[in-house]
Amino acid sequence: MSYLLEIRELHKIYEGGTHALKGIDLNVRKGEFLILLGLSGSGKSTLLRCINRLIETSSGEIIFDGKNVLQMKGRNLRYIRRQIGMIFQQFNLIKNLSTLTNVLTGKLGYVNTIHSLGFRRCRSDVAAAEKNLERVGLLEFRMKKTRNLSGGQQQRVAIARALMQNPRLILADEPVASLDPATADSVMRYLGELNKKDNITVVCSLHFLSLARKYGSRVVALKDGEIVFDGLPSEINEQKFKDIYGEEAEEVEIR
Amino acid sequence: MKGQIKNTLKGLMVDFLFWLYLFGCLYYLLHNNWGWTVRNKFILITAMFFTGLFFLIGDSLGRKSFLPTASTNRKWSHSVWGWLLVIVLIVTFLVGWNIVEVNPYKFFTKFRNAGGITSGIFDPSIVGYQLSNQSLEELKLDGVDQEILEKLSGIIGKRYNTRKVCRDDLKRILDEEEFRIYGEILLSKTEKNMTMLNQALTALAETIFLALLATIFAIPFAFILSFFAARNLMPHTFLGNSVYIIIRTIATIFRSIEAIVWAIIFSVWVGIGPFAGMLALMIHSIAALTKLYSEQIENIDHGPVEAIKATGASTIQTWIFAVIPQIISPYLAFTIYRWDINVRMATIVGFVGGGGIGLLLMQQQQLLRWHNVGLIIWLIAAVVWTMDMISAKVRTKLTSM
Repeated sequence: MSYLLEIRELHKIYEGGTHALKGIDLNVRKGEFLILLGLSGSGKSTLLRCINRLIETSSGEIIFDGKNVLQMKGRNLRYIRRQIGMIFQQFNLIKNLSTLTNVLTGKLGYVNTIHSLGFRRCRSDVAAAEKNLERVGLLEFRMKKTRNLSGGQQQRVAIARALMQNPRLILADEPVASLDPATADSVMRYLGELNKKDNITVVCSLHFLSLARKYGSRVVALKDGEIVFDGLPSEINEQKFKDIYGEEAEEVEIR
Repeated sequence: MKGQIKNTLKGLMVDFLFWLYLFGCLYYLLHNNWGWTVRNKFILITAMFFTGLFFLIGDSLGRKSFLPTASTNRKWSHSVWGWLLVIVLIVTFLVGWNIVEVNPYKFFTKFRNAGGITSGIFDPSIVGYQLSNQSLEELKLDGVDQEILEKLSGIIGKRYNTRKVCRDDLKRILDEEEFRIYGEILLSKTEKNMTMLNQALTALAETIFLALLATIFAIPFAFILSFFAARNLMPHTFLGNSVYIIIRTIATIFRSIEAIVWAIIFSVWVGIGPFAGMLALMIHSIAALTKLYSEQIENIDHGPVEAIKATGASTIQTWIFAVIPQIISPYLAFTIYRWDINVRMATIVGFVGGGGIGLLLMQQQQLLRWHNVGLIIWLIAAVVWTMDMISAKVRTKLTSM
C-alpha cells in the first residue's frame, strides 16, 4: 500500500524560540484513521497546521500524494490545500453567515477569485452543499445563521464544509474537545463514516483514549515535539499511557 | 562600567534640565511681575552650579532616576528629590497662572458682557415680526401724508425679533405726534416673518448633508486602506511591513491635523462653501475611519480566516469570506458614529469657510444678532442630540448582530 502523506525530519521553531516539533518522521497510508495523542503543547496542532502550511515549517519535508508541499507556492499550494479538509476545535465557522454559505466556502479552492467577487453561486455547488448538509443531518438548518446552532451542529457544518472540498485527507484538530461526551461521539461517528465509506484518510488529534480506541486504526503519540508511540490503539496499556501523559496521569473514562 | 558612565551622564542631564527649567520659571515670574532683568548667561551658570552641587550631595532627581543612592531611596517627604519635585510643581503652576492670565475677578464681575448672547439663548428668535404691506396700503387710502408713507416704506418687510424692537424702530423714524396717531395701528397689524428660521433650517440641512457626503465619500477609501493597515492581514515581509507602516503613519498624520485646518486649506482651494467643508471632513474621516476599521480587523476571530485559508482559498477570497462578514456590522456602526461626529465638526468647519450652519452662526454673531444666534445654537443642539440618540440606538443593534 502506498503512502498518502510522508513527513520527514520535520522541525518547527517558533519566533519566540519554542522548539515545537523536533524531527517528526511519519508516514500515513491511504485510508488510515490516524489518531494523534499527547498533552496540550506537545505539538499536535503545530504538526497538523504544518501539513497544509497554515504554519510555515522550519526544516524537513512533507510529501502529499507524491508532491513536496513545502516547495509549493501560490496556485499550486491552493491545489494541495483544497485536497486537504480541516476541522477545528472551535469549529471556525463564519458565525453571521448562513449554514449553506458556510458549507459553500468549502468550494472556494475550486473557484476563480474573480468569479467569487460576485458572490454568485454555481447551481451544482449549491446542490452539492445541500447533499453534504443532508449527510450530516442538517439540511433543515441551511438558511439559519450558524451562530444559532449548537456546538455539535456547528462541528457537523464544519464537516460538511470539509466534504465540499472532495478531500483525500482530513485533518482534525481536537474536533470534539469543546463538546459534551455524547455529541463528541456522534461527531466522531461522522468522521469514522467518511473514513470507511468515502475512503478519506483522517488524521485526528484527540484527548480521549476511549474515542481513539473506538475509531482509530492507528495511534501516534507526541511528547515535547517527538513521537513517543506509534502503533495500534489496542497496544496502549497503562505503561504506554504513562509514557505519553506522564507518571501522574490517570486514564479518565468519559462514559 | 560603561553603563555606570551612561547613567551618570543621563542623571546629570536630567538634573541640569531640571535646574534650568526651575530658574527659567523663577526668572519669568520675577521679570513679569517685578521687572527684574538678568543675563541669560547667569541663569545657565546658576543651573550648572546647582546641578553639580546637588549631584555631589547625592540626592537629586537625576540620581533618583538613574543612579539611586541610599538617600534617594527614602520616602519622598524625607528626601531632597521629593521636595525639589514639589517646588517645581508649585512653580510650574504659578507660571501657568501667569501665562494664562487667570483672573477670577473678571470672571465674577464681567458677567454682564455676556448678557446679549445669554438673553439670545433664553429667547431665541424663532418667529420674527414685520410691518405688513397691507397696513401701509390702508394708511395710504386714509390719505396720510406722503412724507410719513415714505418714511415707513423704508422699514416695510424688515424683520424684527420682537414687537418691542419694532416699536423702538418706529419711534426712531416717526416723531412723537405721528407715532401717537399711527404707531399702535401699525403695530397691531404686524405679521410673522420666518425668514431666519427658514434660513437656519436650510443651513442646517446643508450641514447634515455635507457631513453625510463627507462620510460616504470617505467609506470606500477607508475600507480599502484599512485592510492594508491591519497588522494581522499584512504579511511580515519587508513589503508587508512597509505598506502597513506607511499607511498607518499617513493616517495618523492626517488625523492629527484638525478638520478646521483642512477647511482653511480647501476654502482657499475650491472657495468658501459647503464643498470646502465636505472635502475637509472627508480627509479627516478617511484617516479616522482607516484607523477604526483596521483596528476592527485586528480584533477579528482568526479561526475562520485559518479555516477558509485551509480550503485552498486565495488571499482575496479569504478576505471576502472570512474577514468581511466579521467586520461588516462594526464597520456600519463606526460609519454612523462618524457621521454623527461629522455633523458636529461641520459646525466648527463652517466658521472658517466650510458653509452650512457654522457659516450662518458666524455671520449672525458678527452682526451681534444674539437672538438669531440663540436660535441657531438651539437648532444645532437639537440635531446633535437627535443624531447622537439615533446613532447610539443603531450601533447597539448592529453590534449585537
